[in-house]
Amino acid sequence: MTETDEIDFEIDPEDLEGGPGTERELGEPCLLVDDLHITYRVLGAKRIGTAAADDAKGRRFLRRLLAQGRDQVGSVREIPAVRGVSFTARRGESIGIVGINGSGKSTLLRAVAGLIPPTKGAVYVAGEPSLLGVNAVLMGKLSGERNIMIGGLALGLTQAEVRAKFDDIVEFSGIGDAVYLPMRTYSSGMSARLRFAISSAATPDILMIDEALATGDATFRQKSKARIDTVREQAGTVFLVSHSLATIESICSRVLWVHEGRLVMDGPAEDVCAAYKGFVRAKRRKS
Amino acid sequence: MEENGLARMGVRPSFRDYVRELWRRRAFIGVLATSKSQSRNQNSYLGQLWAVLTPLLNATVYVIIFGIILDTTRGMSNGIAFIVIGTFMFRFFDRSVVVGADSIRNNLSLVRSVHFPRAVLPIAQVLSELTTLLPALIVMIGVSWVSQFFPGQGPVPLDWSWFLIVPAVLLLWLFSTGCAFLVGRWVAITPDIKNLIPFAMRFLMYGSGVIFSINHLLGDHPAAKILEYQPVAVYLYLARGAIADEPTIPQDPVMWYLGVGWALLFLVVGFVMFWRGEERYGRD
Repeated sequence: MTETDEIDFEIDPEDLEGGPGTERELGEPCLLVDDLHITYRVLGAKRIGTAAADDAKGRRFLRRLLAQGRDQVGSVREIPAVRGVSFTARRGESIGIVGINGSGKSTLLRAVAGLIPPTKGAVYVAGEPSLLGVNAVLMGKLSGERNIMIGGLALGLTQAEVRAKFDDIVEFSGIGDAVYLPMRTYSSGMSARLRFAISSAATPDILMIDEALATGDATFRQKSKARIDTVREQAGTVFLVSHSLATIESICSRVLWVHEGRLVMDGPAEDVCAAYKGFVRAKRRKS
Repeated sequence: MEENGLARMGVRPSFRDYVRELWRRRAFIGVLATSKSQSRNQNSYLGQLWAVLTPLLNATVYVIIFGIILDTTRGMSNGIAFIVIGTFMFRFFDRSVVVGADSIRNNLSLVRSVHFPRAVLPIAQVLSELTTLLPALIVMIGVSWVSQFFPGQGPVPLDWSWFLIVPAVLLLWLFSTGCAFLVGRWVAITPDIKNLIPFAMRFLMYGSGVIFSINHLLGDHPAAKILEYQPVAVYLYLARGAIADEPTIPQDPVMWYLGVGWALLFLVVGFVMFWRGEERYGRD
């Protein structure tokens, strides 16, 4: 993974005019994360160090076979993805999460949404969070139309409500008649747009967005920014994970910087983004 | 924390809340189930026609191998009907357990994107098997009826008892859903168990007399009673009693009581077990 991918300047800040609106009055706390730990259990993963040991010369064939066998049988590796994160979010806040690849951003977001049970610590929340991820494929074999119904029902809408919002969702996503084709035929941008339209149709109390805005074109980005603002105006909270600092700076008032599963910095968007940019530049120079 | 209006996330809801939430998602279960059974036949020219063609071809294979070539059903008045009903009903149960076992893992992206009671998934999976069973049932009944015109096969008269296939299938469906809950939880937490399922199913298949008559083979053997009253054998008995006209399979109220009892027992125990694991699904 090259570090040059990390800052994405592709998005022009002009696409997302309007600014984050930091002056907005903040409400009472609606989310409290208390010493959150998430450890993934990976079955059948190679143990660290065995690869090097295998290469050691003079090893007997049998012993090498045994060493390899140990990796294949009963090997469990614990991977700490989030290690002890605590913060509080208030109503009407929009919070960006930045960090390099593999730093635990998406895991943090999912855990905060209550979709991955915490290994240790706890998340307290008022209202129902809704997560919107680019890689959360609903069902690729089914048409977009079917997926809208499934997604809407999964979010807790009734069938009548989904039907009422159907045209709105299709129009917002801008995919037109393609909504009747199976979702596996969609481009990544199309399906990201449809997912965003579905997830934000229910106007959740807490909206969590995982990289979704990076996939849309300029028009779509503008539309989605408007929708995020609507959620915030209805006293909701928005979380946004993105590699695009331009997107984060234009939408978020507050930014959390996560590195190796720990919270490095938590503060106003400009300060954290500046510090993060400095960190990435320093890292790039080193490599 | 509760007093600030903040509720802890990822905690298993109380049993009553869980059931209420599940009931609220019943439309979701229905749509998920029908979508899954539709998508199964989507990538072919004949499309949904395969929902009928697949069971028809299956029945043909069984009839040719077991009914005509092997003649495994000595002592039966109509071996073809016996085998076709047995294999179709067992296939539904077998498929239900297999898809139930994978219900969390196969829908991980859904589990990790949206909140809903996870019991929706095994229920929807088994329900989708039930929707594919319905066209198969028509084929099953049709083939059973036609079989009486084959040489050496006894009569399968049109009878009011045919309607009993409906409660028999419903009971088997409830029982299968209970089993799907159990294996769904076990496999979600210990994936290795999935590899044991085919063997358990094979045991059940041979132990329930799907393609041969247990009574005829075992006679007065002490194990015969256990094999006769275990759930899968009970449901095969009920389905055969409804359609086929075998002198050895009379209508028996005891079998109906057992059928209801097994279904309720597995459904309740399975559901409670599944609910107790709720906060652990989706971590890996």
